[in-house]
Amino acid sequence: MAQHGGPQQRIFSPLRTALHRFAFILLIVSAFGLMLLGKADTVLIERIRAASADLVSPIMNVVSRPAASINELTEQATNLFNLYEQNERLRRENRELLAWQQVARNLSHENARLRDLAGYTSPPPLRLVTTRVIADMGGAYAHSLMVSAGSRDGVSKGQAVMSDEGLVGRVAEAGYQASRVLLITDINSRVPVIVENSRDRAFLSGDNTDRPLLTFLTADAAVAPGDRILTSGHGGAFPPGIPVGVVSSVSENAVRVAPLFRRHQLEYLRVADYGLQGILSDQAIRRNEMQSDGVIPNGVGIVPNDGNDTATDMPTANPAQPSDQLP
Amino acid sequence: MKPGVWHRLDIIARGLFPAFSVFILLLLNLLPVSVPLLSTASPALPLMAVFYWSVNRPDLLTALTAFFLGLLQDLLTGLPLGVSSLVLLLVQTGSASQGRFFHNKPFSVMWWGFALVAIPALLVQWLLSSALIGALLPIKATLISYVLTAALFPLVAWVLARAQNTLLRHI
Repeated sequence: MAQHGGPQQRIFSPLRTALHRFAFILLIVSAFGLMLLGKADTVLIERIRAASADLVSPIMNVVSRPAASINELTEQATNLFNLYEQNERLRRENRELLAWQQVARNLSHENARLRDLAGYTSPPPLRLVTTRVIADMGGAYAHSLMVSAGSRDGVSKGQAVMSDEGLVGRVAEAGYQASRVLLITDINSRVPVIVENSRDRAFLSGDNTDRPLLTFLTADAAVAPGDRILTSGHGGAFPPGIPVGVVSSVSENAVRVAPLFRRHQLEYLRVADYGLQGILSDQAIRRNEMQSDGVIPNGVGIVPNDGNDTATDMPTANPAQPSDQLP
Repeated sequence: MKPGVWHRLDIIARGLFPAFSVFILLLLNLLPVSVPLLSTASPALPLMAVFYWSVNRPDLLTALTAFFLGLLQDLLTGLPLGVSSLVLLLVQTGSASQGRFFHNKPFSVMWWGFALVAIPALLVQWLLSSALIGALLPIKATLISYVLTAALFPLVAWVLARAQNTLLRHI
């Protein structure tokens, strides 16, 4: 490519090296610029992320199918191997579950009657969108998945994502036909939870390990290994009562929770549209600022979907609603 | 003799292959696999390909391409923006300048070279990600990821070498 000699070469060669060096420095600077831009967490970045998810989702959608079927095949082989044992276990489990079903029926009737008596306002009905996992950003740095549902299917940012077993995460960015799900084990994940038995409130904070931490737990909280953790519904981000995990270890400075899902076996997930817009949207914040002298208390986490009218109709109901469900 | 349009298109398409292969490996990294180990730490496949091409064909995988492939990786995996861009850019520039060292040497030398390059690359990624997220990420996952990356390099390099021999012999 490069011919030697010639007066042109003598002039252009150093120029080209200088240009290369300049381009390299420019790229380094723009990498750091991107880091700052990402840190500012603008809406723009989120849109671009969602768009890039949309871009690769058709490919991933097709490519992940054979991968899933290979996984299924290996799973079937192991199942065949453990057939007898599994059958025994399932029989036992079925007996137990039948007993629980009876209890649940009784309780549900009783609950309905008591709700009638107390004039309880039911939480909004749950709309579920079932979707397939098409990518797993398995890595040392981020715990997230990509699912094949987006705003086209009614999925939007902040909605809770569940597997059969329990809570998996929340929608971090929703594209048109694909979304990214931030797992509860990710370091950026915070979920308001309660301990099932003691009703102690806490946050489940991921730290990029398989066992997220229970933080902001009060000093007198009674937590023991084996306790179930449920979403509390505080802040309106998630519907209350979704099972999240089981307390796996309690030490002096950390309470760790084992999530109910196994990440490598996630295949179909359900996205819960709770009719609430989850975490505060920009629009809602602006609206609250405008009416800060008025009826809506500041910092209210629940923003009803249909906007202003309902918010002004019941000014005090919003912040108190989730805690009403605590006994 | 002037080459025809198709011929030129063919050369352009072949020239794009290195960048395309990194993109494919990036998607491969995203595939959901039902192996418990791989869901916590996965091998850095794009890093391998960027190293391979910068050593063998730095003219076909430029610093700019490496930068944008890193950006795509950050966007797709939900990492802090700019981290992978910087890492892949540094790996590309560093390996391209040392590329001549690996020519006409046995493959094991290149393997050692990659194992050495991958240490600072993953370390920088870990440090910058931790700094940008604002909390120290567990180093264990990075270590597993490094071992997987170094161990799987021959496999990826073999596939890329086959592709290089068939597709890029004449350009």
